[in-house]
Amino acid sequence: MRLTGFPLFVAISLFCALGGSAAARPPYGGTLHVEMRAAPTSLDPADASQPDWSGYRNLSSLMFDTLVSLDARGKPEPALATSWKAESGDQRWQFFLRRGVTFQDGAPVTPDVVAASLRRTNPSWKVFSEGEAVVIERDSPAPNLPLELSLARNAIARREGGKLSGTGPFAISQWNPGKKLSLVARDDYWGGRAFLDAIEIELGKSFGEQMISFDLGKTQLIEVAPEQAHRAIAEGRHIRSSAPIELIALVFGRDPQSPEDARQRQALALSIDRDLLSTVVLQGGGEPAGGLLPNWMTGYAFLFPTSIDLAAARQVRSEIPHTTSWTLGYDPADPTARVIAERIVLNARDAGMGMQITTASSADLRIVRLPLISIDPQIALNELASELGLPQAKSAFASTDDLYAAENKLLQSQRLIPLLHLRTANGMSNTVRNWRATRDGSWRMPNVWLAAEKP
Amino acid sequence: MIFRRRLLAVFALTVLVSVVAVAWSISSFTRRAFEKANEERSAALVAQFRHEFNRRGEEVAHHVDTIAASEGTTRMALALIHGSPDYGAYLNEAKTIAENHQLDFLEFIDNQGTIISSAQWPAKFGYKETATLVSTIPKDAFLKQEELPDGAALGLFAVREVSLGEKPLFVVGGRRIDKDFLASLELPTGMRAMFYQNLGAGFSPQFLIDASSSVPQADRIAPIIQQLQQQPRETTTLVHWSSNPADDETIDGIPLTGRDNQLLGVLLIGNSRRSYVELRQRIRSAALLCGGGGILLAILLSGWAAGRVTRPIEQLARAARDVASGNWNTQVPVSSSDEIGELAESFNGMTRELLAQREHLVQAERVAAWRELARRLAHELKNPLFPLQLTVENLLRARQQSPQQFEEIFQESSSTLLAEIANLKAIISHFSEFSRMPQPQFQQIQLNDVVQNVARLFQAQLRAPERAPIECKLELTEPMDSIAADIDLLHRALSNLVLNAMDAMPQGGTLTLRTRRDGGLSYVEVSDTGTGLTPEECERLFTPYYTSKPHGTGLGLAIVQSVISDHGGRISVRSESGRGTTFMIELPRNLDKLQKPGQPLGVPARSD
Repeated sequence: MRLTGFPLFVAISLFCALGGSAAARPPYGGTLHVEMRAAPTSLDPADASQPDWSGYRNLSSLMFDTLVSLDARGKPEPALATSWKAESGDQRWQFFLRRGVTFQDGAPVTPDVVAASLRRTNPSWKVFSEGEAVVIERDSPAPNLPLELSLARNAIARREGGKLSGTGPFAISQWNPGKKLSLVARDDYWGGRAFLDAIEIELGKSFGEQMISFDLGKTQLIEVAPEQAHRAIAEGRHIRSSAPIELIALVFGRDPQSPEDARQRQALALSIDRDLLSTVVLQGGGEPAGGLLPNWMTGYAFLFPTSIDLAAARQVRSEIPHTTSWTLGYDPADPTARVIAERIVLNARDAGMGMQITTASSADLRIVRLPLISIDPQIALNELASELGLPQAKSAFASTDDLYAAENKLLQSQRLIPLLHLRTANGMSNTVRNWRATRDGSWRMPNVWLAAEKP
Repeated sequence: MIFRRRLLAVFALTVLVSVVAVAWSISSFTRRAFEKANEERSAALVAQFRHEFNRRGEEVAHHVDTIAASEGTTRMALALIHGSPDYGAYLNEAKTIAENHQLDFLEFIDNQGTIISSAQWPAKFGYKETATLVSTIPKDAFLKQEELPDGAALGLFAVREVSLGEKPLFVVGGRRIDKDFLASLELPTGMRAMFYQNLGAGFSPQFLIDASSSVPQADRIAPIIQQLQQQPRETTTLVHWSSNPADDETIDGIPLTGRDNQLLGVLLIGNSRRSYVELRQRIRSAALLCGGGGILLAILLSGWAAGRVTRPIEQLARAARDVASGNWNTQVPVSSSDEIGELAESFNGMTRELLAQREHLVQAERVAAWRELARRLAHELKNPLFPLQLTVENLLRARQQSPQQFEEIFQESSSTLLAEIANLKAIISHFSEFSRMPQPQFQQIQLNDVVQNVARLFQAQLRAPERAPIECKLELTEPMDSIAADIDLLHRALSNLVLNAMDAMPQGGTLTLRTRRDGGLSYVEVSDTGTGLTPEECERLFTPYYTSKPHGTGLGLAIVQSVISDHGGRISVRSESGRGTTFMIELPRNLDKLQKPGQPLGVPARSD
């Protein structure tokens, strides 16, 4: 999808010569001002202590590259690795690196550096260099290893003297942890120089602050709360939303302790009116979720019921001699989560179950946002299971049926009750051109250019 | 001294009682004044609370009026007319409006009681809220309990109806009564306001708050709440928070009821008694200090005053003791003209009169004694003189009338004359002996030995055949303390008493010699069973030259009294007519009068 500098120049020249307007020609230069809600204190892809938020992969993709990337359909395509091959029944993989690629500090990308980077992120892997290739050996067959390597956490980084360096289209020029990140375009980027000269990213800005800055013209790219997207569009703002890529679920602190506990969880799942949560609370910024993965990712999610069945909930409730009055926790910094929690309390009460909301960490169950970090359903499901501390599938899923069975098994554990799948939304000013976000909302920043402000 | 001490005690007690009475009076007055002030402050705070309550109610009503009249509410009401509301569009509507109007509660409710938008519970859209909507919408604010996701709260609410068609829209807004509300009350020092949300039967400590946070030891409030739950009437209770009375607090409980008179909350106004207790303690300390100082001052002043008052009395007492001891020439100074001075003057007059009378009496007695002596001498001398005269006359007559018998008569008369002359000499010897009574020579003796010697001496005479027998009984206490006395004089005195007893028993009888000791004194009793003495005789018995016997000189008992007196003792007589007489001698130990080596006889040993 991207054009390298010279062919792009030729293409644009041809377009202009064939009658295109001069104003549509993508100009180089300009600084894109971005605001984001998250406030990471580290940019290191291997830093597992940082929250796994959906915007991180976009931030990471500006500075770092992975060996493999995914195309729009979720298929692996070459990135830093130009080719790869599996051996020994998918237990041993060889990745051949692109030649001539350098880190932002000028150091060449070598198999040793790449192996060191991957070992840091995945200590359990056996990673080493072998000639021009990087070899990864796993304990068990890993047919989806290229997909795993496309995850942002597996981005290749060079750490020298406490300084972090990547191979991405932008280099770090200034880093104020948790507050501001300044990036400059790399002229020697192996994929071609980005149109933008620089990107200034303000971190830790709430949705409201971002919207104010956006309306004041101080920033050109912001994150928009899913529930605000509809209104923002109605008010004339330019909003781009992704497919649902984040799961909101009720997550219990432990497995069901008794049959009554399991039945009460079942009653609660039946009592929740997800449709109203989606249409009213989220204002269409999400979809009711009966399963863990959204339907666009698996194609079978509609099989999991999402509608409220109060009669069934009451019936199940009536079969429980004594219900437990649960405490429902939520993130006090997330107003949407509070409304959802309050609504669930009302739904549970309709079914005859008492529940109390709390911001304490010791709640019986919590409202949790779980980003789906890959558009590949297998990777996304396994990562969800890992995030929740549930057992992951041992091997790759041969078919959709296997995937469905694995997801259904996770749901049957009753450790969580899916509520909604949320979209991500970005607001951008009219000067931002050639925005090409993927379905999961990933940015393709090198193609973006800034048009001149209209007087 | 005793009188002075009593006087001191009376003065001190008077001061103490006065101070205590004053302190108690002040303390009582203070307590009443404090309680009155306490009541007034509580009443003022209650009035302030009601004023604040009404003011907030008016504010709430005003804001709800404003919201009901706003364009947004009108649009919402119009949307209701045109069909089902878009809950999503109004999800945060109430919250935003409530924040703009500084309301804690705001709900938009349709005519079916369905919540369109809720500020306090945004997720409650679509649910029914019929409790607030009654047939008559009150104009003023009212108290209402509001259910919230994290519990329940009490608030001041106002309801307004927006009617644009057949489907009215109700705007229900309110403000929470919580610690912020309590903090807005301007409380005097020492007072605090607490609030209890009555969310159920019984008392739950978590529903009790004050302006800062939850109330510690909330269970102490429980009885007040429970009382108000049973009978919602204002009540006042004294709460003891600790053993320190300064921590006590008077708490007024004011029930707050809703539209249906249900008890929704209780306003508790605490009035610390610390200032009162501290004031009371200060008063007590001051009273104690004043009392102590007053008592000390009273002791000093009363000592001085009592000294002034009692000194003349003590002088009088001393003078009276002198008079009692025989020193009648005693005068007391007259230092004042009051009753004490008058008493001293009278005392001096009395002693002067006593002296004069004693002088007169002495002179009279002296004359009487001389007369008695003269009489006695005349009598005693006359008795032998008369025979002498008769004998001489007889001799003269015999020489003239019977010369032949003269020799015989002369011989007889010479014998008679010699006898009478001897008698005269004896009489004169008695008188001479009395006048030359020697000073006692003290030595350590055993009284029982003296008594036994005397009894032994008279044993033969008592059993003489020529007289009726007299039985001698010795009743001696053993052991007796040794005493210092002149054994010869004592022997002589006892002998005189024994002789007297024998003379008193011509018909015989029993002579009893008895000794005993009592305290530091020794006693000797000589009893007879004779005819006894009359009281008049007993009175004059020891008067020199007085005798009831026909041939007595009247000096025997006088000598006995003189001996006993020289030994520092006393003699007394007890007699009953027809049953006998008992002489009782009381002798001190006189050990201090023992002669030291080298000391001249007859001079009492001085004790240094």
